[in-house]
Amino acid sequence: MRNNAAFIAFFAACLAAAPLAAGAAELRIGFTSDPLTLDPANHRSRETETIIRLIYSGLAANALDMTVVPDVAKSWQWIDPKILQVTLRDGVKFQGGETMTADDVVYSFTRLLKEGAVGGQTSPRKGLLGPVTEVAKVDDRTVRFVLSEPWPVLPAMLTFQEVVSKDFTEKVGTPGLATQADGTGSFGLVQWRRGDSLVLERFPGFFGGPSDIPPAGKACVDRVIVKIIPENAARVAALLAGDVDLINDLPAHDIRTVEANANTRVAAVNGTRTFFVALNNGKKPFDDVRVRQAANYAVDRQVIIDRILNGRAAALNGVMSPAAFGFNPDLPAYGYDPAKAKELLAEAGYANGIDVMLDTDGPQKDTAEAIASLLTRAGIRTKVQVGEAAQLRARWAPDGTRDGDMWISSWGNGSLDPTDIFVPTLRTKDRGNAAGYANPEVDKLLDAAGLETDQAKRAELYRDAQAIVNRQAPWIFLWLPQDLYGASKRLVGWQPLASGMLNLRDACVR
Amino acid sequence: MSPAALLTRLLHLIPVLLGVTVVVFLMMAATPGDPAEVMLAGQQATPAQVAALRHDMGLDRPPLERFGLFVGHAVRGQFGQSLFHRRPVAQVIAERLPATIELSLAALVFALVVAIPLGVLAAVKRGGWLDRAATFGTLLGVSLPGFWFGILLLIGFAVQWRLLPVSGEIDYDAQPPGVTGFLLVDSVLAGRLDSLLNTLAHLALPAITLGLPMAAILMRVTRSSMLDVLRQDYITFAEAKGLSRGRVLLVHALKNALLPTVTVAALETGALLGGNMVVETVFGWPGLGRLVVESIFVRNYPLVQAAVLLYAVTFVLLNFCADLLYTILNPRVRM
Repeated sequence: MRNNAAFIAFFAACLAAAPLAAGAAELRIGFTSDPLTLDPANHRSRETETIIRLIYSGLAANALDMTVVPDVAKSWQWIDPKILQVTLRDGVKFQGGETMTADDVVYSFTRLLKEGAVGGQTSPRKGLLGPVTEVAKVDDRTVRFVLSEPWPVLPAMLTFQEVVSKDFTEKVGTPGLATQADGTGSFGLVQWRRGDSLVLERFPGFFGGPSDIPPAGKACVDRVIVKIIPENAARVAALLAGDVDLINDLPAHDIRTVEANANTRVAAVNGTRTFFVALNNGKKPFDDVRVRQAANYAVDRQVIIDRILNGRAAALNGVMSPAAFGFNPDLPAYGYDPAKAKELLAEAGYANGIDVMLDTDGPQKDTAEAIASLLTRAGIRTKVQVGEAAQLRARWAPDGTRDGDMWISSWGNGSLDPTDIFVPTLRTKDRGNAAGYANPEVDKLLDAAGLETDQAKRAELYRDAQAIVNRQAPWIFLWLPQDLYGASKRLVGWQPLASGMLNLRDACVR
Repeated sequence: MSPAALLTRLLHLIPVLLGVTVVVFLMMAATPGDPAEVMLAGQQATPAQVAALRHDMGLDRPPLERFGLFVGHAVRGQFGQSLFHRRPVAQVIAERLPATIELSLAALVFALVVAIPLGVLAAVKRGGWLDRAATFGTLLGVSLPGFWFGILLLIGFAVQWRLLPVSGEIDYDAQPPGVTGFLLVDSVLAGRLDSLLNTLAHLALPAITLGLPMAAILMRVTRSSMLDVLRQDYITFAEAKGLSRGRVLLVHALKNALLPTVTVAALETGALLGGNMVVETVFGWPGLGRLVVESIFVRNYPLVQAAVLLYAVTFVLLNFCADLLYTILNPRVRM
C-alpha cells in the first residue's frame, strides 16, 4: 500500500511537471536496441543493462577511468578472503518513495543467486557472481557476501548488478518487474513503448550517485527520451537531422559525416574487447616461440588500425586493455619488422617460409585478409579460411579438434579485470584458451593473483604474468577497438564510459 | 462459395500450418548457434553456466520432444516463453502486432490510391508520356530494394528538408490515450488532430517504402486489365450509345477491370509481411517484422516459430480472402 501511494505521488509529480515540460530540458538518445526487459536480474544483454542502469543503481559503479567505486554502497571491506562486508549509504530512496535497506540488497542478490528465484527460472546473471553462495543481512545498513572460495574480483563484478525494491518486486511479481520499474537511479520510468521508445523523468529524490565521481547530484536534464533506432544509417540520420542528441554504436564509416556536420561531433572511448590472432601453440610451426614472435613482427597493426578501423582502436602488446586492473604499461611492442620476422623464421629452421591457414568468421574477413597479406610478405604464407563463428569456436575450444594454425578472435572484458580475460584465455586448458598456451609459471601467477586480496600485490602478479606472455607471444597481439558515439554539440557534460553504460547525470542540453 | 467449399478451404489450413511448423522447426534446428551461448555472449560463460541456461531454456531436451511440446502448446494457443525477453511469446508478439498491422494497412492504402488511378490513366492514354512515365515508375518500384529506397527517403525528407521525422511511431507529447493500440484509431477516438497528424507524419515514409513495390505491381495489373476491357465490344457499344467518356470508363470499364487488381492486392498484402521486416528495421518501426529479424539473429526459437506460424496463417487467410472476393466480384466463377 505504501508503494501504491508513493507511486501515485511520483506519477502525479511527473504529470504535474508535464505541462511545464515545454521549456524543460529534454535529452533524446538514438539507441540501437530495445531493452529485452526492465528486470535487472532477468537478462544478459549489455544494451538492456545500459537502459536499466539509468533507472537503477548498483552497489558499485565504474568511474570514468573505470576504477570501481561504491555507488549505493558506502564502502566495503574483506573480513577474510571469503567474506566481503558491504556498508550501505544512508538515505538512498527508491523512486516509489521508500528508503533502501539491507533487506532490499539481500532480496536483490538472493533473486540473482537462488535457482528458480526469477519467476521460476534462474537468473541468467547468476554466473556473473562466481563463487558467491549467499548474501546475508548484518544490520539495516550492512550486508555480507559469503563466497565458497576467494574471489578478489567481486567488487568489480558488483558493477553488473542492480538493487531492486523488495516490496515493489513482491507486489508486481517477476512479470511486473519486466515492464515496470522502481529503482534508485537518477531517472524514473514514465513510459516504455515496446520497440519504439522509453521516456524517463528526472528523479527528484535521487541520492546523487557515487561520491567518488564528482560532481555528485541530481541529473541535469528533466527528461530523457530513448528512441530505439536499430538501423545504423537511420540512427546517424536522426542525429544529423537533430531528432536526437546522442547516438550509440556510431559506425566507423560515418565518422567523417558526423564530424563534417556543424552541429554534431564524435565521442570515443576505448572499448573492453581485446582482438588477437590465436596461434596454435600445440602444433608446428607455432609450437616454436620464434615463429610466434616472427608472426608478431610481420603484422603492421597500425596500418590496419588506420586503414580498416579508421584509426579507432588502440594497439595492444598483450591481453589487457590499458584501462584494466593490473595493466602492465612497460610491455615492449613488437614493431613492424618483416626482416626480423624472416630472420626468426630462418633461426627456427624455416628459411623458406611456412604455409599456414588463418581461420576467420565473416565480420572479420577484411581484417584477416590484411593480416594474411602482411604475414605472407614476411614469409608466413597465409591463406584465409572463412567459417561460421559458432563452428570456429567449437573447433578451437580446448576440447575441440584444434587442427587449425591461426584464428582471429576476440574476448570481451566488461569488468576490466584480468580474472575475466587473462585467466580464461591463457591459463592452461581454460575455457577460452584457443591458442592452447600452457605455461606453468603463468598459471602459478594467475592462481596466486586469483586468491590475493591485497590489490597492490594482486596487480603486481598480473603484471609479471603479462611480461611472460608478451615474450612468449602465444597470440599475434592486435588491438582494442573504441566504442563510438555521435553527439550533438548541444549536449555538454557527457562523456562515454568504457563499460558501455550511459552516465547521463551530468549531461546537459543547451 | 458454398458452405461446404468454405469448410474445405478452411480445412486446407491444417496441413499448410503443420508443414510450415515442421519446416521452421527444422530450419531453426539446422542453423548453427545456440541461444544459450548467444545470451551468455558466446565464449564468456563457463560450460557449466551454459549447460544450466540450456536446461533452463529447455534446450537440453531432444529435438523431437521440443517439437512435440511446441505443437502441443501451439494448438492451445500458447507458444511458451521468449528465451530472451523471458516473458510469454504471445505477450511479446501482441505488443508489436498493432504497429505492423497499421503500417501494412497504410502501405496497402498508399498502393491502391497510387496504382488504380495511374493504371487507368496509363491505359486510357496508352503510349503517351504518362503511360511511359508510369511504366518506368513501375520498373523502379519493383526493382528498388526497400532498405536502400527507405534510406534515400530518410536522407531527403528527414535530414535534408526536415519535413518528416526519421524514425519511430509517434512523438511522446503527441500520444493519444491508448485504447485500441492502433495510433490512428486512438487519435480519432480521442479527437486529437495533433496526434493524428503526428502519426501520419511518422507513418508516411515507411508506408511509401513498403507500399511502393505493391503499387508498381498493382498499376501494371490495372493497366493491362483496363486495356483488355477497353477492347471489349460492350465498351464500343456503350460509346456508340453516346455515353460520356467518364461514365464509360468508370462504370463500364473500371468495375470489370478491377477484378484482377483486387485479387492481386489481396495476395500482395501477404507479401507485405516480408517487406515489413526490412522497412521496420530501417525506420525503427516498433512492429513484429523487426522483432522477428532480431529474434532470428539471436536464435530465439519459440518467438520465431510463433511469428512464422502467425505469418503463415495470415498469408493463407489472405489467399482465402482473395478467392472469396473473386467469387463475389465475378459471378461467372461462383460455385
